Amino acid sequence: MTVETRTITVRRDVAAESQADAASERERLSRRGTLVVNLLSSPGAGKTTLLEATARSLGDRYSMAVLVGDLETDRDARRLSPLVPTAQLTTGGACHLELPLVRRGLAALGDPQLDFLFIENVGNLVCPASHDLAEHLRVVLVSTTEGDDKPGKYPKMFRTSQAMLVTKLDLLPHVPFSVAAVREDARQIQPDLDVMEVGALGGAGIDTWCNYLEQERACRLASYL
Amino acid sequence: MHERSLVRELLRQVDAIRLQHEAERVSEVRVRVGPLSGVEPLLLASAFEELVADSRAASASLVIDEVPLLAVCKLCDRQMEVTDFVFRCRSCDGNVHVTQGDEFELISVSLSESVLAEEAVS
Repeated sequence: MTVETRTITVRRDVAAESQADAASERERLSRRGTLVVNLLSSPGAGKTTLLEATARSLGDRYSMAVLVGDLETDRDARRLSPLVPTAQLTTGGACHLELPLVRRGLAALGDPQLDFLFIENVGNLVCPASHDLAEHLRVVLVSTTEGDDKPGKYPKMFRTSQAMLVTKLDLLPHVPFSVAAVREDARQIQPDLDVMEVGALGGAGIDTWCNYLEQERACRLASYL
Repeated sequence: MHERSLVRELLRQVDAIRLQHEAERVSEVRVRVGPLSGVEPLLLASAFEELVADSRAASASLVIDEVPLLAVCKLCDRQMEVTDFVFRCRSCDGNVHVTQGDEFELISVSLSESVLAEEAVS
């Protein structure tokens, strides 16, 4: 007996199939007029508070829903559901959301016709960066309490985002955080990044953020609306 | 740590190739990993070692080719290696387009089978 070996050349991205799947889901949602926004940050940066303020501001003019990802509990869904239709996605320990979970969440809501679908990802600046959830817009949040040196530590997250929101602006007088420094650090990684500042509890910057969302929807879905 | 789910997907693809070529065993899996792939080579290697044992590719070894991050300036077309994740052109400060380094690619799969000596000769 001898062993014969042959090498098959493949040269294909391991994620090629899931990337194509995400692209077709994005296309399906585009045709329905839904802008999908993937919100990412460390735990506790203010994603849920931002969504509460966003729902209060845009909720009467647009149909919207939230899919909220956490390892465990439905605490965020309970906070958001009085304001906006929300489905909780629990990953059971996994550090990021994947498209099948998003589809399950949409189905749980009855796959309604939406103007905006927000996906609140698991709080984590690492793994979620590698997973396309069929979003049109990837928005990363950095809170003033986290420090202005975060972008350089998590380059993939900032490189693959279209916008960065500096959150908890009302705490700025109490913490050593420079908005100019975080902006500069992030733009070394992604020079095209749109940067906004919000203090969602007091409402600062929420109008600018909501205008941005409306413009992005009009612009990115122009050929579908 | 999402390397385990990536390895599961990788092994699924490897086994599909093995079946397609009607091979007995997988002896080697070669992948290419860039600095912006979100894949940490050390974690990838340990996840592979752990998961391959229970798969149809149980005897396979993993070869990881680590490639540098390369880009071309969107404004002045200068080609460069991106270091320290600074994605700005060194000549004109413009944004760059990444041409290599964000991939986690399956490059090749080596398949092997035992054959009788006389068959191997013919």
